[in-house]
Amino acid sequence: MTKRFICRAGDIPANGMKECEAEGGLKLLVANAGGEFFAYQAICPHQDVALCEGLYDGSILTCHMHLWQWDIKSGSPVGLAETALERYNLSMEGDSLFVESKSAIDVGELFTGASEATLAKLAALARGEEYDQGAVIYGVGDPAEDFFVLDSGRVEFRIGRDERTSPAGFMLRKGEVFGWAALLDSHPRRIASARAVERSAVLRIDGRQTLGALEADPASGYLVMKRLSALIARYLAESGAK
Amino acid sequence: MRVQINARNRAYEFEAEPGEKILFAGLRARIDLPYECATGTCGTCKARLVGGPIDDAWPEASGKKYLKGAGEFLMCQCAPVAEVVAEVSSFVYATDPGACPADAIEGVVSAPRRLTHDVLAFDVGLDRALDFDAGQFMAVGVPGVAGLRGYSMVNFDRQARRLEFIVKRKPGGGVSEWLFGGAAEGARVTLFGPLGKATFHPSLAKNILCIAGGSGIAGMMSILARACQERYFAQFRGDFFFGVRTMADTFYLDELSAFQREFPERLTVTVALSDEDVPAAAAQKHPALRFERGMVHEVAKRTMQGRFQEVRAYLAGPPPAVDASIRFLLLEAKLTADNIRYDKFS
Repeated sequence: MTKRFICRAGDIPANGMKECEAEGGLKLLVANAGGEFFAYQAICPHQDVALCEGLYDGSILTCHMHLWQWDIKSGSPVGLAETALERYNLSMEGDSLFVESKSAIDVGELFTGASEATLAKLAALARGEEYDQGAVIYGVGDPAEDFFVLDSGRVEFRIGRDERTSPAGFMLRKGEVFGWAALLDSHPRRIASARAVERSAVLRIDGRQTLGALEADPASGYLVMKRLSALIARYLAESGAK
Repeated sequence: MRVQINARNRAYEFEAEPGEKILFAGLRARIDLPYECATGTCGTCKARLVGGPIDDAWPEASGKKYLKGAGEFLMCQCAPVAEVVAEVSSFVYATDPGACPADAIEGVVSAPRRLTHDVLAFDVGLDRALDFDAGQFMAVGVPGVAGLRGYSMVNFDRQARRLEFIVKRKPGGGVSEWLFGGAAEGARVTLFGPLGKATFHPSLAKNILCIAGGSGIAGMMSILARACQERYFAQFRGDFFFGVRTMADTFYLDELSAFQREFPERLTVTVALSDEDVPAAAAQKHPALRFERGMVHEVAKRTMQGRFQEVRAYLAGPPPAVDASIRFLLLEAKLTADNIRYDKFS
């Protein structure tokens, strides 16, 4: 985990917020909630509006464009908002705030709540790969040995083949998982294809070794499997809805 | 021509007529694509082209400033030339079954009339009957002017054959110059709609607060008309605030008075004058109305103090007035975001 300076605590007014740029260029929204500091993605997940132009009363952040709102302490959606804000951990040394950058595994929807030890094991299994725009990550019928976590960019995910192809959901957010057939015990072949629609960075993780790590930590394993079944059900529902 | 829109949650396919804008084709197919102004200014309907050729009908549209990179375009301005695949970053759902269907319609302009020195009203006689919700607008295109403009309906009628609109004169504004120029009577215009989500339904069962600046009063008149037709103010409170600069800029005061006299106990109508003290004669001439000096959002805030429970707010007007109203309603009046309705125009 790397740590980068982002701003001084004194730069953020009491119960106020400010867009700040960390060393290395990462732009984040930093909010002060009664002396506690929180950092989130600087841009609204709805439609590319800078969140620092929004409204903030010390507990609820509101994007001024369509009134999406979030709880400042958790980034959880409130009211009209459809998705959570991506949160970044801050640490304070003296008056300096540092942002801790996280790997895609830590922000991944599938692994939220898993133990630190298991997340560390998975991080050790992950290999970073980059794909150019248009590159096929896997096709229908390929062996399903690895699954993927999107780190940056955009990946198109389609279930079925040829005229029976059903365009399904898109991997838009960092941390979203695809190629999850590799996490099924029977090791089926791919029933979907995945293609990078822009230059994308992914983490490739061996499915069999991941299952091993989850078996060794059944509490985390149960959480992950529960989420995995919900994820699969969502894709089945969406491709069936066509 | 086939269009495929990949949304965050799923993909949709629909057909567009030759030359038809992608947004309108999608709305016609009852897919609730993202939009607000539908007329090229707000940037809300932007999409990313994945493949296929499109024709941009209005390359100078001001909403293009929200686009990033050559791959993005405004769905309200672009028509497919052949099969097109595009992507929008939001969640998209099917249009609510109860929503009035949006479609293209034509009509004839009649009775353009001045309401003040720079506000004009006109009617459009429609070729067929149209259902719309109170608070909705139409995208209107006039001969010889690029692009469409959004105008809220002033009236409220079921199966309407006539729509009433108001327009504020803007120097260099193509449509307003055309209307004020005197050649509008009898002209054929094209419309698309109804559009917009800042709608009022009597099933709301809450007190309503309307804050309108200038020509933003149009949609509020429609809401008032519907609410009075349904005798809504026999049960719930209505507080209407109409902001203009001076008495000379006011209009519809007789119509507003008539609504107020129907429900004197629960309906109030306040006219806020930002640039002059209230003339002594104003209250005598319009005894059903209240007059106050101040910016409309400040007058509304003052007047409504302590009465924000169980309130749904509707806002319309110049963006700074709408933004100021949103700010006090959220932060001070503590309304929840779903009880603040507006369609942003600029």
